[in-house]
Amino acid sequence: MIRDKGFLIIFIFLGAVISLFLLVPLVQLFLNVGPFRLLETLQDKEVYESIFLTLKSSFYAVLFVALTGIPLAYLIARYDFWGKSFLESLLDVPVMVPHTAAGIALLVTFQNGEIGDFFKSIGLEFMDTTTGIMAAMMFLSAPFLINGAKEGFRKVDVKYEHMARTLGASRMSTFFSIVLPNARNDILNGALMMWSRGLGEFGAVVIIAYHPMVAPVLIYDRFTNFGLQYSAPVAASMILVSVSVFLAIRFVNNKFS
Amino acid sequence: MLKVENLFLQKGDFSLKKLSFAVEKNSYFVILGKTGSGKTMLLESLAGINQINGKIFFGEEDITHLPPEKRGFGFVYQDFVLFPNLTVKENIVFASRYKQILDVDTLFADIINFLQIEHILERKTTHLSGGEKQRVAMARAIYSRPKLLLLDEPLSAVDPTFRNAIMKSLKEIVKRYDTTIIHVTHNFREASYLADNIAVMMDGSILEQGEANSILNHPKSIEVAQFLGFKNIFPSSLIHQKAEAEVFSIDPSAILFSHTSSASEYCFKCTIEDIMGISDHYKVFARVKEHLFFAKVPKHMFEKLDLKEGIKCFLCIKKKDIVFI
Repeated sequence: MIRDKGFLIIFIFLGAVISLFLLVPLVQLFLNVGPFRLLETLQDKEVYESIFLTLKSSFYAVLFVALTGIPLAYLIARYDFWGKSFLESLLDVPVMVPHTAAGIALLVTFQNGEIGDFFKSIGLEFMDTTTGIMAAMMFLSAPFLINGAKEGFRKVDVKYEHMARTLGASRMSTFFSIVLPNARNDILNGALMMWSRGLGEFGAVVIIAYHPMVAPVLIYDRFTNFGLQYSAPVAASMILVSVSVFLAIRFVNNKFS
Repeated sequence: MLKVENLFLQKGDFSLKKLSFAVEKNSYFVILGKTGSGKTMLLESLAGINQINGKIFFGEEDITHLPPEKRGFGFVYQDFVLFPNLTVKENIVFASRYKQILDVDTLFADIINFLQIEHILERKTTHLSGGEKQRVAMARAIYSRPKLLLLDEPLSAVDPTFRNAIMKSLKEIVKRYDTTIIHVTHNFREASYLADNIAVMMDGSILEQGEANSILNHPKSIEVAQFLGFKNIFPSSLIHQKAEAEVFSIDPSAILFSHTSSASEYCFKCTIEDIMGISDHYKVFARVKEHLFFAKVPKHMFEKLDLKEGIKCFLCIKKKDIVFI
């Protein structure tokens, strides 16, 4: 055990460096703003509407990907098919793309051309709309949920499905009563990762929808127009709200899992 | 009742090779085979999990293309596959979510009493011992009122001390719940206790099938005999018998050694080649011409005969102990 001492000291020191690097700016931000200005900012209509819009848009993006990406994740996890590796790589591409480039790609696709015209004809516009914000968040953060669900499904032994079916459950019932509940933690983690990634989305959103302003755009807007004094409280408010929601969801999940 | 005709299934480089067999109603049918012989694949095919070529009839009905949920067969996997998101009780009554089960309350009470699992009903399945998991898996399968119960090595993950008690329960299930069991195992002792009929499976083929006693005591092929633990398999010409079969086998415990020949028995001059002492007996390897016999000699007999490596003596076998294969 004595021989371990040097090893542990080195690892603890290195771990502490990165932990402090991640923690100190956040603490510093809150100390800089202080509780009174934080409360005052949270009561600012433009701020709380912007935070709510951010939370809501990211949540809707998660819902849409849950509806479409979870079935895709299941197919990838359970079946081998032609082009599967290519599809899996393709799903990871958004994570690597510069966010502003993604914004431009979305704008090109949905603002002009046949696809844009089609969506306009059914009443969906992307430029400077909540739908555009959702699309930007979704494009860049969907892989988190899809990959989480894929891992979750892979962990559920296919024999559970066979067993449920011999007991009378249809394929669909088996999916909802056995597969989904047993992959729940990975799916929820993926959804939380996607949601929180969406909250911080700036590069793509600012290109497709400067208005209505989501919190990251509002922080940027206040910083460029009014400076640090006015942007820091908004940043602190956004962090406080999103961390609170994040922790609440984790707590509820742990309590009922 | 269940009739399988030319069942063929290829998975990778392994296949079930046109299997045909029949299982009678309310019987206990054991499929005996080594690990990797395709037993589980066959059970899954019967349950409707694998799409197969060939035909499966249940009664008069062709069920070859019926999905698992429409077949009404129960399944117990080797590793039990209890749903981790449900409690023991929820696992057992899972089938009632999807099908009408008559007298559910009476049935439930009877099953938990029969399998003695009342005290664990509210537990999560992850907190159960191997024996408890096995009983819960059995309870879940029985509760679904299966017309046919498919058991995949149900005793392999159970502590040996509980195995006899569980085997007793398994045997009782057929009558008590008016069902039929197909049980796959690699353990021929399990098969000999439980089976009414046996099919011996190797490398995706059924080599022999028939009444349990006949298969276990009078195998018709050398491969089956070797798998069933028959030792000392030699050509019938050795005993100058007008061959009923090409080879015969003799139980190692039925071999006698003597320093004089006996006319009433088959006696051969032999050389003792190797001796291994075990707690209450000796394993003796004796060569007769080019054949090496393996015998188990009780300790007192071994000492009386004063057997030693390298000595020459007589190896005798009685006619009644010979099994022709």
